Amino acid sequence: MNKVANIIEAKQLEKKYVTDTVETTALAGVDLRIAKGEFVAVMGPSGCGKSTLLNILGLLDSPSGGTLTFLGQDISRASERQRAKLRKQNLGFVFQSFNLIDELTVEENIGLPLAYLGVPRAEAQRRVEEAMERMGIAHRRSHFPQQLSGGQQQRVAIARATVSNPSLILADEPTGNLDSVHGREVMALLSELNEQGTTVVMVTHSPSDAEYAHRIVNLFDGQIVTESINARKHAAELL
Amino acid sequence: MLQNYFKIALRNLVRNRVYSAINIAGLAIGVASCILIFLYVKDELSYESHFTNADRIVRVAGEIKLASQEANKFSLSPAALEPALRRDFPDIEHVTQLVQERKQTVWYKDKSFNEDQLVFADSSFFHVFDYPFVVGDPNTALDEPQTIVLSEEMAARYFDDPAQAIGEVLKFSRHSYKVTGVYRDPGHSHIRARAFLSRSTHDATLDEEERTNQWFAMGRYTYVLLQSPEQIPVFQEKMDAFAQRHVIPWIKEHESDASMRFVLQPLRSIHFDTVYGADMTAPGNISYVYIFGAVAVFLLLIACINYMNLATARSAKRAKEVGLRKVVGAFRSQIIGQFIGESLLITLIAVVLALALVQTLIPAFNSLTGKNFDSNFVLQPEFLLIVLAIVVFVGVVAGSYPAFFLSNFKPADVLKSDQAPKGGSASLRRVLVVVQFTISLIMIISTIVVFTQMHFLRNRNLGFNKEQIMVIDVPGGDSTLVKQLPSLRQQLLSNPLIEKVSNANDIPAEELSKHMMLAELDGKMAERTFQIMSVDYDFLDVMGIELKEGRNYDRRMKTDETEGVIVNEAAARWMGWDNPIGKRIEYNDRDLQVIGVVKDFHVQSLHTKVEPLVLKLRPQSAGYVLVRLKPENMASTVRFVENQWQAFDPKHPMEYFFMDEHFDKQYRAEAKMLTVFGYFAGLTILIACLGLFGLASFTAEQRTKEIGIRKVLGSSTSDIVVLLSKDFAVLVLIAIVLASPIAWYGMDKWLQDFAYRTELNWWTFALAGFAALLIALVTVSFQAVKAASLDPVKAIRTQ
Repeated sequence: MNKVANIIEAKQLEKKYVTDTVETTALAGVDLRIAKGEFVAVMGPSGCGKSTLLNILGLLDSPSGGTLTFLGQDISRASERQRAKLRKQNLGFVFQSFNLIDELTVEENIGLPLAYLGVPRAEAQRRVEEAMERMGIAHRRSHFPQQLSGGQQQRVAIARATVSNPSLILADEPTGNLDSVHGREVMALLSELNEQGTTVVMVTHSPSDAEYAHRIVNLFDGQIVTESINARKHAAELL
Repeated sequence: MLQNYFKIALRNLVRNRVYSAINIAGLAIGVASCILIFLYVKDELSYESHFTNADRIVRVAGEIKLASQEANKFSLSPAALEPALRRDFPDIEHVTQLVQERKQTVWYKDKSFNEDQLVFADSSFFHVFDYPFVVGDPNTALDEPQTIVLSEEMAARYFDDPAQAIGEVLKFSRHSYKVTGVYRDPGHSHIRARAFLSRSTHDATLDEEERTNQWFAMGRYTYVLLQSPEQIPVFQEKMDAFAQRHVIPWIKEHESDASMRFVLQPLRSIHFDTVYGADMTAPGNISYVYIFGAVAVFLLLIACINYMNLATARSAKRAKEVGLRKVVGAFRSQIIGQFIGESLLITLIAVVLALALVQTLIPAFNSLTGKNFDSNFVLQPEFLLIVLAIVVFVGVVAGSYPAFFLSNFKPADVLKSDQAPKGGSASLRRVLVVVQFTISLIMIISTIVVFTQMHFLRNRNLGFNKEQIMVIDVPGGDSTLVKQLPSLRQQLLSNPLIEKVSNANDIPAEELSKHMMLAELDGKMAERTFQIMSVDYDFLDVMGIELKEGRNYDRRMKTDETEGVIVNEAAARWMGWDNPIGKRIEYNDRDLQVIGVVKDFHVQSLHTKVEPLVLKLRPQSAGYVLVRLKPENMASTVRFVENQWQAFDPKHPMEYFFMDEHFDKQYRAEAKMLTVFGYFAGLTILIACLGLFGLASFTAEQRTKEIGIRKVLGSSTSDIVVLLSKDFAVLVLIAIVLASPIAWYGMDKWLQDFAYRTELNWWTFALAGFAALLIALVTVSFQAVKAASLDPVKAIRTQ
């Protein structure tokens, strides 16, 4: 059996936004491979196309050109329904602004992906419980998002992103709205998940967050300008 | 997952109390109105439906056409029709005829009541119409002469128990009748009878010629029970040949140039028939059924629009949720399902509220409409079906646009917190607001026109003075009474507060009969039908009817009774008489000469034109005694008349009414319906304003930052209020422009139903428009002032 080593392969990815009068190029031919178990940080100045890339890799948006392979399957032209299916089976998302549903409690927010996956209630409850324990938020289970601190909210968001055991977590500036203490906490959690085998792709502005990644991709004007291996991370893992 | 949707929906409802309240209140009012209208419409459409044979029964109406005259249409037909139909059409199941009897005084032991709605019928009537009998045998009950079948209601007046009634004898002034049965009122029917009297009793008073060969004596209702509904058109075709066979030879024999045809009216159509008239009950008006149906749909639509507008306006707040659900893998169809489910839930809550509302309003609605709705209707399966249909209709109509709109959000766009999407298409919302206000305005304008017309009807000069005329309803058939009338007159006139007294067979607002006469036309005599009123010498004076030319009947002129006749202007005009006095009319084989012409006065409601009328002198007319009172001390004068009557006729309970009330009664049913319409018009504007209120608060919320910046730059509070109100004012103005021609057209059509009508005035439209604009502005400015008085620093910071 041919084992797929790369979780994502992007070739010559393009994305153009057309408004009434202007055509903006967000991505101009991006080639990127992400191997299973990797932790990749995408960096670059505002407006360089980081988030667009992340949205396309996360199947939230479709490219205007190029090909995108997800787990060996070409999904450049996949329908919204197919992409939704792949998302719920394989992907977890963490956002800068947490994006928890205000009307649902901690417990209900975390359980949402399982509901869409059709996981039986008892099983779902067990996995939500586990995720809450892991993130240390079980004591807040019946709180609503507004009743939590930013760090706690982001932990709920990570719990939600991981509860369905996705093979890939996409994080869009996960520490952007947090102070440094809570930021480090969140990065440690992501790192831990990565060590347990989950592939992580993270967009960040912060060099210190990028330190947690194996590889750093620098984007500028919609193109990859440099790619560097994080020697310190590799060294740490070897130790 | 359902549980999750449910929680989200409920928590959203609670969190956004104002919006939820607006939506639910609007929908609840809309649905409650719909249910009430449904009850009314269903009631109107339920006539005759309880008769097993309803679809196979027809009434035979007659049309008589005289040479140069429009056909005279009668729901009545001649006695001769029944035996002829039986003979010619052996395959019809039954033919039966009804004859109305006048109001009668009925005595039993020490009890006596004046009874109306008495109808002569034979046993075959109960074969055609299956009246449920409490006691007695419908197959034979009316076989014998002088037998009577009572309604439960009438029986209860004389007997403690229906069973006791059987075999007892009720005394009428002319005959006595033995009770042979008691029936339960079967439900809505155009036939209304307190009791059925055996028709053989009545027919015994007719001679052979009247019974079998007087084809123009339109005195009875004829019903035919066919073998199947499909036979109706077949039978109708045969009726023309039938008329040729029987009526034409008879007409020829009488050297007349008239013609006659028979028209079949399917039983269920009779309640809404306004062509043939002269029914036992006031006809319904099918256009009101349509109008109310439309009003119900409009009310629901307006409430749905509120929901759609508020849901999409607030969509920005739900965008994040939608984005997130998609991120974690929700299909679009699941999101659509969620939002439609949410609107179904809101509708369901509204419907439950609406049912409670209807329960509380039923008594008021009953007194408003004069109907008798039972609040148990909720348990009827067909009603539950209707409610279910409303829930699904509203839930899906109101929920689908927001659902499709919201489910279309791209997570990549909405999850970036700094770029909340604008709340849906503002232009669509504007269009919907214009639709709401157009509908509301049409209803407001209609209400104003309707009430102007009603005012016009009540206050128009009728050609007689309807005020202060006390009318005593004299029970029919008692000849001793008639003989004593002159002495009663004298006694009444001894009271200085009584101006004049008259006795007549006919009064306004009662059905008049039409009779065929020969009238002078270009020197020859031509056949014409005239309405006829039998009156005495003082009728014109008591009524205050003005003479145009000639003179009134005079007691000193002995020939007036046998040779004189008074006509109205319409009759003179119709005959083309420039000098009517002395013109000849032949009636009942008597030669009469016109001695006077009265100015036209209204005998019937202002729906109909004043028709050519003959006032025939019959001093012994005894249907009614008319007493003109002086306005002072009316109560004591009325008491005086009562006492005199009791002394004069202790046998009959006295019944009286006042002419003005009696005449206005003709508009009562209509006025009731129109009042109900007025209430619903008020409700549409209320619901529309609820929506506007919500929308205005949304707009103010959305423009908080703009308002803050404007205030920092020096705008005053009033500038801001104008800024926020202006947009809505424009929408209402557009609605005025759209609604006016539609309302004009509709109301012009409605007014065409009246022979005498008010004019449509521009100010009606201006008034309605101004009112709508004012209401809308008050609604909007409430929110605008709130937003405009916010501290600008706070306003900017909120973004």
